[in-house]
Amino acid sequence: MKILAPIRAHDELEMLAASGAEELYCGIVPREWSERYTGAAWLNRRAAKGGSLETWPEMKRLVDAAHAARLPVFITLNAPYYTAEQAPLVLDLARRLSGDVGVDALIVTDLNLLARLSEENLAAALHVSSVAATLNSEAIRFLLNFGPSRVILPRSLTIPEIETIAADVGRDVEIEVFMLNDGCAFEEGFCATTHHHSVGAFCTSLSEMQADFEWYGPLFTARRQRWLRANLADYREWVFYLNGNGCSSTPKGLPYGPCGLCAIPDFLRLGIASLKIVGREASPFKKLASVRMVREVLDRARAGVPKLHVIERAISLREAPAHCASGYMCYYKVDSKT
Amino acid sequence: MQWCVHIAGPQDLDGDATVARFTSLEGSARLESAVRLAAGQIVERFGQVRFTRCAFGNEFCEHLLPAPSALAAAVEAARARDLAFTLVTPYVSNEGIRKLAELLPLLPEGTEVVFNDWGVLNLMLRKFAQLRPVQGRLLNKSLRDPRVMGIYGEAPAADGAAAATLAALQRSNLDNESSTALLSRFGVAAVEMDNLPQGMDLSFAARLPVAVYLPFGFISTSRVCMAAGLHYHKADKFQPGAPCRHECQTHLVEYTYTNSPFTNRDQKFYLKGNTYFYTHSEPMLRSLLDHAASGRVARLIFQPRLPMTASVNGVS
Repeated sequence: MKILAPIRAHDELEMLAASGAEELYCGIVPREWSERYTGAAWLNRRAAKGGSLETWPEMKRLVDAAHAARLPVFITLNAPYYTAEQAPLVLDLARRLSGDVGVDALIVTDLNLLARLSEENLAAALHVSSVAATLNSEAIRFLLNFGPSRVILPRSLTIPEIETIAADVGRDVEIEVFMLNDGCAFEEGFCATTHHHSVGAFCTSLSEMQADFEWYGPLFTARRQRWLRANLADYREWVFYLNGNGCSSTPKGLPYGPCGLCAIPDFLRLGIASLKIVGREASPFKKLASVRMVREVLDRARAGVPKLHVIERAISLREAPAHCASGYMCYYKVDSKT
Repeated sequence: MQWCVHIAGPQDLDGDATVARFTSLEGSARLESAVRLAAGQIVERFGQVRFTRCAFGNEFCEHLLPAPSALAAAVEAARARDLAFTLVTPYVSNEGIRKLAELLPLLPEGTEVVFNDWGVLNLMLRKFAQLRPVQGRLLNKSLRDPRVMGIYGEAPAADGAAAATLAALQRSNLDNESSTALLSRFGVAAVEMDNLPQGMDLSFAARLPVAVYLPFGFISTSRVCMAAGLHYHKADKFQPGAPCRHECQTHLVEYTYTNSPFTNRDQKFYLKGNTYFYTHSEPMLRSLLDHAASGRVARLIFQPRLPMTASVNGVS
């Protein structure tokens, strides 16, 4: 089971490799795209500035150096869709990334792009993005028609559901799961909203909106109203945790965010191929601290440390036992006794 | 063009199959005006339309999959009224796939099944080839964020980049001939869509028939349901796919975009269960009905309620 870390620049490579990253992923938004479209049309689910590399020499330098350090590099081509005008540009991008740059895999959501790339016989492998919303084994079997070597499971799957999927298709395709840093209140692949800076994420925006209830029954009593309001407050607290605890940090400066560290022993047992750390656009410090945390917990699990002790260490690493105890900062609900 | 009505159960078909009667099915005071606006536009544009198909089921929650008896009753009610029948299915877990494998054998040969999950399509291809797959609106990935997309649609395309971006936002991967050919290869007979706030480019419809819902569009959906949290202790709330008591049937949440950075601070969004919806504005309805009148839309699906209603005949 590998640790997959986000990277945005060659400068981040040495520290990520030294800290325990075993795979890397990043995005590129070439000038042709940035000049053709405004910021409302994203090539890879991140704004061009700050979340992606922008030039071919930068990308080539990063990939060559990563390969010298024996780290594979995967590239996000994971927009929910590409139009007929965009598809040739993206296909050409994929060919150059695979052929000229030598990247190891392309991360894809759009079924049309996946099908087209599967016919290209590229050297780069194909990974199915979590945005493709593979929530069941049948969906993965369908996508296997197009030859992906890996499927990234949506973060909304539970450990028992992942276990069933791994048992069903784990021999046919690698499985990657979310591990740290980025929450989503919705099913990512079925969210038709934008995160454009002008409006921000819909889920967090909702927490600041006026909300009114309509009751479908004879008596909308004051008690029922309080009951609904209390649940809404709990839901908004859950969204706060998804949003990196309101974008706050530990006293040592480590940003909070959704976390799956306690599930690492389960994922090791299930034969999961890769643990994804989210945040291409994050600061180098956050990336570094994230990789170190995952590495420390994974090393303990690999060494056969009992699950309960691994979980205790994971909680201590987060330096926020109250947040961990809330249960709202967790990607996965873990049964510490099994 | 075909007219379809989305029903919550066979009782919805008791009585006249008219826009006016279907409109009266909506019991929400907050949603009533949107439904009446759409109904008025339909009648004004097309007169008393004749519904020849009904759709049953939902796209958003596997906990609302109908019980086998409920599905059988809906199929029979449609047959008795000489209406074609469509079963709409949600995105699902492996458990949902198992339930659907029990429901699909109840459908007569040739029945349309709307899939919103590649796994459901694969199940149909493997075991129910006698059914007719239709791609659902969740698999149409056009953004439809009502907070801002309407503004993009209204803004004049000042330069090439803005025009190219708006064109991209009004389309989807269906824009590619390879995409519609791929769906056809898998036997997909049609695609469903929402009416986009930024406007729709339906030029692909010459290659694959398109059906559009009105007067509600979906914004976002989740395996984590706020309503389902009502009966859980706080620490156990908001778990993906958690069992529920169909708390979504008891209430609706209306959000007002009071924190908008633009002028649309009175805009409304609606949460029912695990899914957020927008309603069609008058210009959006006019634009959709223009598409329909010009032949680019093969079917309009009138939904007098938000499509989150548990069948009175039970759920799986």
